[in-house]
Amino acid sequence: MNRKSFGLRVIASGLLVAGMLTVAASVSTVTAAGAAKKLPPYLIGVPMPMTGAEAQAGTQIYNAELMAAQQINKHGGVLGHPIKLLEQDDACDAGTAVNAVNLLVSKGVKAFVGGYCSGSVLPTEPIISRAGLPYVMPAANSPELTTGGYKDMFLIDPSGSGDGAEAAAFFKQQGITKIYIIDDQSSFGVAIADAAAKDVAAAGGTVVDGGVQSIPATSNDFSAVISQIKSSGATGIYWSGYFSQAAQFATQLNAAGVIGPNGTAKFVVADGSVDATYLSAAGAAANGTYATIAALASGVGNVLGSHADKVFNLAYRKEFKSAPGPYSAFGYDAITALVLAAKHVHSIVPKRVNAGLRTLHFVGLTGKISFDKTGNRLGATMDLLEVVNGKYTLAKPQP
Amino acid sequence: MSLLLNELGNGIFLGAFFGLVALGYSMVYGILRLINFAHGDFFMVAAFVSYTILGAVLVGHNSHGQWWTLLWVGVVVMVITGGLNMLANQIIYRPMRRAAILSLMIAAIGLSQILENGVLVTPQWGATYLVYPVTSPPAGFNLGSNHYTWAQLIIVLVSGLLALGTYFLVGRTLLGKAMRAVSEDRIAAMLMGVNVDLVIAIVFFIGGALAGAAAVMTGVYYGQINYLMGFTVGLEAFTAAVLGGIGNIGGAMLGGLVLGVVQSIGTAVFGSEWAIVVAFGALVLMLWFRPTGLLGERVARRM
Repeated sequence: MNRKSFGLRVIASGLLVAGMLTVAASVSTVTAAGAAKKLPPYLIGVPMPMTGAEAQAGTQIYNAELMAAQQINKHGGVLGHPIKLLEQDDACDAGTAVNAVNLLVSKGVKAFVGGYCSGSVLPTEPIISRAGLPYVMPAANSPELTTGGYKDMFLIDPSGSGDGAEAAAFFKQQGITKIYIIDDQSSFGVAIADAAAKDVAAAGGTVVDGGVQSIPATSNDFSAVISQIKSSGATGIYWSGYFSQAAQFATQLNAAGVIGPNGTAKFVVADGSVDATYLSAAGAAANGTYATIAALASGVGNVLGSHADKVFNLAYRKEFKSAPGPYSAFGYDAITALVLAAKHVHSIVPKRVNAGLRTLHFVGLTGKISFDKTGNRLGATMDLLEVVNGKYTLAKPQP
Repeated sequence: MSLLLNELGNGIFLGAFFGLVALGYSMVYGILRLINFAHGDFFMVAAFVSYTILGAVLVGHNSHGQWWTLLWVGVVVMVITGGLNMLANQIIYRPMRRAAILSLMIAAIGLSQILENGVLVTPQWGATYLVYPVTSPPAGFNLGSNHYTWAQLIIVLVSGLLALGTYFLVGRTLLGKAMRAVSEDRIAAMLMGVNVDLVIAIVFFIGGALAGAAAVMTGVYYGQINYLMGFTVGLEAFTAAVLGGIGNIGGAMLGGLVLGVVQSIGTAVFGSEWAIVVAFGALVLMLWFRPTGLLGERVARRM
């Protein structure tokens, strides 16, 4: 991504706020007529990790969804129907998620907007697909989510399959040929790491140590892995898991002299590891490490600190007395996407909303939003970020 | 070969944590035959308590290696965690002393849930990954081709000293003799004038305090804490305790070291995704050929 398009995004995101108000204004006229009839609420199911290891991210996205719903309701709701979010904890666990989604379907929700862990979204796709409901996912973005053949799945966060290609291009640009790839055994991490291994091979590099390695998501000690990296002679290290472990990995790699002032290797992480906690937990060890993330995502969620981002941050902080997470804006956009689709087709009937989502075009907090035939977000390009003095910056030159 | 030696060093470091937490498991098991599933969560609570204390003490100069501050905060946290563990014993386990041991175990699982979710809903703590106020500097020394930080060395030494202290307390003091007596035959010990309830309370205190020390060191070395961190540590410590011979003080520490080394070597030989499989495979083999654990011949006497 270049500077110009970044600037455009800032303007585009600003337009959204205006756009939202226009929507709200036009909707409110409907409400005036509808108020007397007291239309039933528009029930939206939100399966989200509210407990367990990913409770932090889940809460941050759900809060943003609540914020979007409140603002829309304040201006008359969706075609006169007030939005009601029915939240169910999926605990980032496949079994819990299936129960949660079955419960929500039985409660008669008309759409789903939720999911953070791809591993707990996957098994719920057939249930939601069978019920014929639209599912807009703010953050889950494993490439598997749209390849299962289930219709009406829409990913606001661009599929993570681009992460590996961007990292492979970077390694090639740096002349790094021996690359150590490790995942966290989560559905997301494994999918990204496997994709990255193919991309590295295609770019002429070698995945050392006989292929992709993995470590349990609960592990906080990488010393054994670091010894392996040292003996393998790898000078590129790629992590596809989440930010908490990424920070520990970076800290320990730095202390072991593999990266940082005494090291020669480059450490690159996928978008699951882009988070303010990564910067604060790894501290100085984060400097000089790299991350790949969808270009439209890196302008929001406080990663690069754009103007629209600041406006959203302020509103979020005021409401919830805490900072939004990297995927909060995606949660906001997910609700907006659903509502605009419903408005576009003048109906909240799931079948028609699905059609509306397929032809949707709008500019959200995270940039232009529209979907391809499988429900992947269109126009996603990747950014390479470098941590400089404890902050994310666009790496130069971009591979 | 040098890779295996490096992994041995990594394993010993890892094992020091496992062993310290395993001691608390083992001691409580020795005296009550209770597998205290809440033990790992006391470790987690200790990490959060130390996080809050350190945050309050170190306002403005959060940085590397505040060793003296860490020392006294560590001691305070050990006392607090020991106290909490003792309190749990008084409130929950003591009234259930005549209940079946399974009921106690279920109570322990319940307590574990209460602690985890209690921390989850506590303001300032919650579900986030909190960054520990003090982190260890990367400076250190080289051994073979491996770089170890001074913090790692200090952690291994502190763990060793605490384990040795516990070993002597149980093996060489009058209090230790009382513990062993209660472990062997609670009724007989009571008839001999041992204050059984006090002895059990002290065992809980020591177990909690050791978990507290491990928690502070984990925070400093790994740099972040989370309300679910106790589960994995608890599971690994429990494995270490069984591997070494549950109820046996030396066994808990030895089991911790063996578990750490097996995991690290397992990574070197089979790859990191097999590390846990290798560790638990070793446990299965151990239970097969030697059901009482490494130092298990003394299991009849337990403590």
